[in-house]
Amino acid sequence: MKTDPSSSPAGRPANADALEARFALRLTAQLEGSARQAPHDISERLRVARQQALAQARRPTAARSPERVAAPAVMPVSLGSSGAAALLQGGTAGGDDTSLWSRLGWLLPALALLLGLIGIGQWHDMESIAAMAELDAELLGDDLPPAAYADAGFSEFLKRPLDVALPAHTDEAARSEPATQP
Amino acid sequence: MATEQELSDFLQNIEKRAFKRTVYAVRDEDAALDIVQDAMIRLAQRYGDRPAAELPLLFQRILSNATMDWFRHQKVRNGVLRNFSDFEPAGVDEDFDLLEHLTSSHQAPGNEAEAADVAASRAQTLLLIEEEVARLPARQREAFLMRYWEEMDVAETAVAMGCSEGSVKTHCSRAVHALAKALQAKGISL
Repeated sequence: MKTDPSSSPAGRPANADALEARFALRLTAQLEGSARQAPHDISERLRVARQQALAQARRPTAARSPERVAAPAVMPVSLGSSGAAALLQGGTAGGDDTSLWSRLGWLLPALALLLGLIGIGQWHDMESIAAMAELDAELLGDDLPPAAYADAGFSEFLKRPLDVALPAHTDEAARSEPATQP
Repeated sequence: MATEQELSDFLQNIEKRAFKRTVYAVRDEDAALDIVQDAMIRLAQRYGDRPAAELPLLFQRILSNATMDWFRHQKVRNGVLRNFSDFEPAGVDEDFDLLEHLTSSHQAPGNEAEAADVAASRAQTLLLIEEEVARLPARQREAFLMRYWEEMDVAETAVAMGCSEGSVKTHCSRAVHALAKALQAKGISL
């Protein structure tokens, strides 16, 4: 704590630091009293938090060692085709078996996924071919010749409303109706 | 290397002060508890093997960082949920704290009405002091509490705050002056 009067800035009382410190310590004493009188639930939650932290402090020594043990088994898999790497990391016959099974473990699902994708692609092609064949069959089997769809006049005819498109037919029907009635 | 008992004693010694300091900063008891717990766990996980003498400084840094993280998360959260923030009641906790303090004062062994008055008055004074401490700028409050409440020296406080010793002295001096002025205005003398 600085108490040397000669080192104090100009205009500052010589014992300003001491006065500040004294006031601050009185204030923090009050705060300390307040902290000690913390409600019971707060104290309990802090106690539980402390115990959890201590449990975490105990855990790493037990938790870190399995990681170190598991690392050689995981590394050859991440190295992929490098079988030599597994041998260099002290892999025994058991380690090679683990490596083989680990490789099969991700190769088999990948293969199944690939086959599934090929199957879905083929099924989709077959479906689209069947739909096109059905459309062609309907088009060819219809009374209307396919060439009619290429005719501009026929497309205009199709676009018209029904009563405008067939006026002659309706007039003819009206004329023929009284003749048949008596 | 700190033994488990040393770590436990250290945490027990510091936990209430750490909680209070965090409450002053974040003004939310639940959040303060989470932050203190997070800081304790980080200390125990990462630095549990350090010497016991290093724990106070490490804990102060971890607590400051955890508090800063909380503010960052709050900033993001408030940005996302800005439209909903109007529905949250403001200032209710402060009233509740006052009642809690008064209730706990009544449970003290004081058996006369006069003693109860004194206890209530003291609780109110404490509350006003805490309010003024919480109202200080963050860096001033941090320097003031580390220097005088945690009883760290200027160099340690500077290391924990990541600033120069001169800045620590300036922050502390300004904090003391601001507190003295505010408390004097409220008629509180220590």
